[in-house]
Amino acid sequence: MAKSNEGLMALSGSLADAVEAGGESTVTVNARRRFAASGVATAKDLILTASHIVEDEENIKVTLADGSELSAELLGRDPHSDLALLRLSEAKAKPAKVANGEPNVGQIAMALGRPTSEGVQASFGIVSVIGGPTYGRHGGLLEAHLRTDAVPFPGFSGGPLVDVEGKLLGINTSGSGRGHSLTIPIATAMKVAASLEEHGGVKRGFLGIRGQMVELPESSQTALGREQATGLLLAGIEKDSPAASSDLMVGDIVVGFNKQPTANHDELLALLNGDVVGKATAVEVLRGGKVESVEVTIGEREVQESRGHHRGQHRGRRNWRGHWGWRQRR
Amino acid sequence: MISQSLSGQFSELLTEVRQSLVIVQAKRFGAGAGIIWNEDGLVLTNNHVVGKKSSARVILSDDQQVSAKVVARDPEIDLALLQLAEVDLQAASIGDSTKLRAGDLVFTLGHPWGRRNSATVGVVSHLSTARTRGKRGLIPIIRTDAHLAPGNSGGPLLNAAGEVIGINTMVINGNQGVAVPSAVALDFVARVWQKEGAAVRLA
Repeated sequence: MAKSNEGLMALSGSLADAVEAGGESTVTVNARRRFAASGVATAKDLILTASHIVEDEENIKVTLADGSELSAELLGRDPHSDLALLRLSEAKAKPAKVANGEPNVGQIAMALGRPTSEGVQASFGIVSVIGGPTYGRHGGLLEAHLRTDAVPFPGFSGGPLVDVEGKLLGINTSGSGRGHSLTIPIATAMKVAASLEEHGGVKRGFLGIRGQMVELPESSQTALGREQATGLLLAGIEKDSPAASSDLMVGDIVVGFNKQPTANHDELLALLNGDVVGKATAVEVLRGGKVESVEVTIGEREVQESRGHHRGQHRGRRNWRGHWGWRQRR
Repeated sequence: MISQSLSGQFSELLTEVRQSLVIVQAKRFGAGAGIIWNEDGLVLTNNHVVGKKSSARVILSDDQQVSAKVVARDPEIDLALLQLAEVDLQAASIGDSTKLRAGDLVFTLGHPWGRRNSATVGVVSHLSTARTRGKRGLIPIIRTDAHLAPGNSGGPLLNAAGEVIGINTMVINGNQGVAVPSAVALDFVARVWQKEGAAVRLA
């Protein structure tokens, strides 16, 4: 072939270099009965991986890129972002380098995984979506997410999404084979990891309300003393929830939380973070056209184990009957 | 712009290799791809493309239809070698699959779902092994995220230099392509093509 394709060959070489570089920090995490998945070393003794792949918490084995097998303990998990942090028995892992700056839509990205002992695996794509807040698999709010068209092959869960230099853009979380994958951007993932290392979990606040976004009439905005086009009409209050034991009533329109305006669900959920859990917090409502402040002691959002539709979560236990499509051979 | 020149290089490379890409029709229904392996008119394809037939119809890149004889086949590695009546065709250049690394850029050419001369792009996902049913035991295979579909079988997996580094053979895990590496294919051709210029009939 003519030398005219030097550019392509250079690109090919640098992609392979990136896989090699990123692959050194990509490890095998074996903590479920089905075949193993992947993880990323964020420090010499810390492995960040996907929460849903850690099924057997007592017996976690991690195989590093050099083939050495170590045992690991679970420091904590956050089912909402589907991340878990493990501590290795020996500080022998090679920490991954983190990409500088923000990711861009269209930039080349590769998903890496190491589910078997046959070396690192890769799939190629671009960053397709950089998303703002989204809801995780258990209804918790994630502050940011990425999507990529790189195919998450079986066992890629918990592995890294890397750029053309092999540096971390994010952690691939959702189970493979579901047609799409969710990647937690590395900045968010590192925050979660820090909280997991310190507290063993990530707290999220819980009110126990069902709300519907409604437009606020001008008179209400005048009463509020600020321009706010929408609020949340309380359509229901859960039994035995923090909202139920407060003075909140169905029909109230929630317009603020903890002294900040909340025009929709996302804004309210963003304020319902770990800092307010267990604290008496002021909820600003419109009741009969008047502004009132109701004090609610915020609870903690717990993970509701859902059956069936998050199939990935239960694969290990439900594998043997049904779900033929999920049975994978090595 | 680098990306413009990359795109140009990509289409140039594919235009070049397409001249060595053929359609292989042997069974009553369906067809596969094949690649002109050398100037003597040898075409390499998958064994499952020719099935149990001893001859096949080959359509060249210039739409010319040529009959071909199946001179060798190996179901174990799913390769078959055809001898064309026509010689002096433009052969593809064959690359060294043992030099591949995970992450290397790869292209596929073939006729997925009958769409002629379609190309897809991806990377080497995994340099893996597979156990064959016969005496060979483990053979290396190339797994790729480049999309393959029925009709790609027997077509080439190409590296960034436009060299054939594998023969696209099947799809596993729903969307992962598997190719038989060129090293395995070269070994197969060498064994049935010992005498220069004459095919040894094994079939």
